[in-house]
Amino acid sequence: MATTKPGVDYSYLVQEDKVHGSVFTSQDIYEEELERIFKRMWVYVGHASEIPQPGDYRVTWIGDESVIMTRDEDDQIHLLANRCRHRGSAVCQYEAGNASYFRCPYHGWTYSNDGSLTGVSFPSGYDERFRKEEYGLSKLPRMGSYRGFIFGSLSPTGVSLDEHLGDRVKEMIDLFVDLSPVGEIEVRAGVHKNGYHANWKFVGMDGYHGNFVHQSISLDRAARQGQRPPTHPDRSLNLTRSLGNGHVMLDSRKSRGGRLSNRRVAEWPEDYVRELERVRGKERAAELMQAHGDPHMGIYPNLQLIDVHIRVTRPIGPAETEVFMYPVLLKGVPPEVNAARLRHHEWFYGPAGMGSPDDNEVFERNQMGLTANVDPWIILARGLHREQTDTDGTIISNHTDELTQRHQIFRWRDEMLQG
Amino acid sequence: MGVDEKKVEHFIYTEALYMDENRYDEWFALWAQDLLYWVPANIDDADPATHVQIIYDDRPTLEDRIERLKGGVAHAQDPKSRMRRLISNIEVEVEANGDVQVASNFNLTEIRHGKQDTFAGRTFHHLRPDGDSFKMVSKKVLLVNNDEVIDNLTFLI
Repeated sequence: MATTKPGVDYSYLVQEDKVHGSVFTSQDIYEEELERIFKRMWVYVGHASEIPQPGDYRVTWIGDESVIMTRDEDDQIHLLANRCRHRGSAVCQYEAGNASYFRCPYHGWTYSNDGSLTGVSFPSGYDERFRKEEYGLSKLPRMGSYRGFIFGSLSPTGVSLDEHLGDRVKEMIDLFVDLSPVGEIEVRAGVHKNGYHANWKFVGMDGYHGNFVHQSISLDRAARQGQRPPTHPDRSLNLTRSLGNGHVMLDSRKSRGGRLSNRRVAEWPEDYVRELERVRGKERAAELMQAHGDPHMGIYPNLQLIDVHIRVTRPIGPAETEVFMYPVLLKGVPPEVNAARLRHHEWFYGPAGMGSPDDNEVFERNQMGLTANVDPWIILARGLHREQTDTDGTIISNHTDELTQRHQIFRWRDEMLQG
Repeated sequence: MGVDEKKVEHFIYTEALYMDENRYDEWFALWAQDLLYWVPANIDDADPATHVQIIYDDRPTLEDRIERLKGGVAHAQDPKSRMRRLISNIEVEVEANGDVQVASNFNLTEIRHGKQDTFAGRTFHHLRPDGDSFKMVSKKVLLVNNDEVIDNLTFLI
C-alpha cells in the first residue's frame, strides 16, 4: 500500500460501507491530508468579482498557506504566496483592499500587484549577481477558473481544472450563476464567518440529518402556523447525486417550490421573470427559478454552492474548522431580489442563523463521540443497495442515503493513497 | 421634552437581565410591533440592501427565533448559555416626538459546554414611551468581533 507513514493503511480506514474514526481525529492523518488533499488538488480560493478593479486584492488560503489573489493593472488575476522572498514576512496583512504594490514591513522590499519585485531598500548591499526578476512573490504553480470561480493548486502537475470539475459540476455552477439574466454573480455582500471545534470533513452533504438537526425550525414553525411540518422524507423527489471525482449534491431542484425566498418578498418580480425568459428561454428560466439557482453541491475538497451562498471550508486542525459563507448577489436584477436573497440567507445560516449553529453543534458532538473508541467505525452504509446510474452517467440514490458521504470519502481515500 | 434617565437605565438593565437569564417571552414582550433587531456583519454600517447581516429580524423572523429557542430542540442552545453582562457608558437622547435614543456599551461573559467566551459591543436602542415604561422599536448591536469567526451566537445579544 502506498502510504508515506508506515502503519496508516487508508484502504483499511475507508471501506465500502464504513470509515474509521481516526480519519477525523488523528493529528498525523490531518497533517498528511493537508499535503495530499490541500497541497495537491485544485482548491477554491475566491471569485473574480471579489476583486473587480485593477489593484484589488484579497488574502485567501490553500490549506494552511496564505495566498494573495490580485488583479493587476492589465486586468490579469494572479495567485501569489503571501510571503516576502527575503525573510518570509507576510507582505499583505489585510483581508482585502486595493493596492498597486505590497511593501514588506520587515525590511521594505516592495512588490507590484503582479508579484514582481520592484524595489529593494539600500540596494548597494547586493552585487550584480542579485537579479530582482528572480525574487518576485512566488506564483502558485497552477491557477484555473470557471465562470469567475478561481481555483489554485500548489502542485505543478496533475489533472486540469476542467478534468477535475467535469461537465456535470460545470452545469451545476451554471445553474447557480444563470439565475442572473446577465449570467454574472457578485461576491461582494460580506461574509458569515463560522467556526466549530471538530473535523473539516463533517461539512459533508447530508440528506438524512434535516429532520433531526433542524427539528427546531421545521416542527415549531409549521405547528405555529397550523401547517403540516415540512419533512425530508426517505422517498421524495429529492435525490442524492454523485457527480464524479468526489463532487456530490443534494438534488432538490424539483422540490424547491420556485419561490424567491422563505422570507418577505417571496415571489419573483415580473420584470425579472420576463427578462430571464427573454435571455434564457421559457423552459430554462422556469428550471432555474424552480431550483432557486441552488445546486446544493459540494465541489471537493473545500467549496460548496448551497442555497444563495458560496461556502468555503478551511481546516485549522483535526478538530478545528472555519466555514465562511458568502451570500451571492445576482447582477442585472431588481434590487429587491438581492435584498430578499440576503434576508433568506440570514434566516437559516451564519453564527446566529436558525440552522448553521445546530449543524456546528452536532459536528462538535461527533468529535466528542469519536473519543470513545471501543468500536471505532462510522457506518456509511445507508442506501448502498439502491444506488442507480442516471441517464447522464451520474449516480443517484434516495435523499436520505449516504451516497454523498461515501463518494466524498472515497475521493479522500484515493488522494491519500496516491504516492 | 425631558425624560427620566433613571427609567431609561432601568429599562436597559431589565432587558439585559432577561437576555442573561434566557427569559425569552419576557424579552420578546419588550418589543414594539414594528420592530427591527439588527446585528451587522463585517462592518458596522453595512447597507442591508446589499450586505449580509448577522441578524436582521422583523417581527415574524424574531418570532421564529424565539419559538425555536423555546422549542427544546435547538441543539446550539442545549444546554443553554450561562451569561452575565455589564452595561455601561449610557447616553440618552430624547427626540421631538418623545421617542428615546439610547447608546450603551456591554461586556458579556458567556459559558457553554465548558467554553467561556467574551462578547463586547455598543448597542443603539430606539425606545418608544409605553405607559410607565418603553417598548423597543429597534435595537442595533455593533459587536467588536463582527468581522471575526464566531462559533455560536444563538443566545440573545
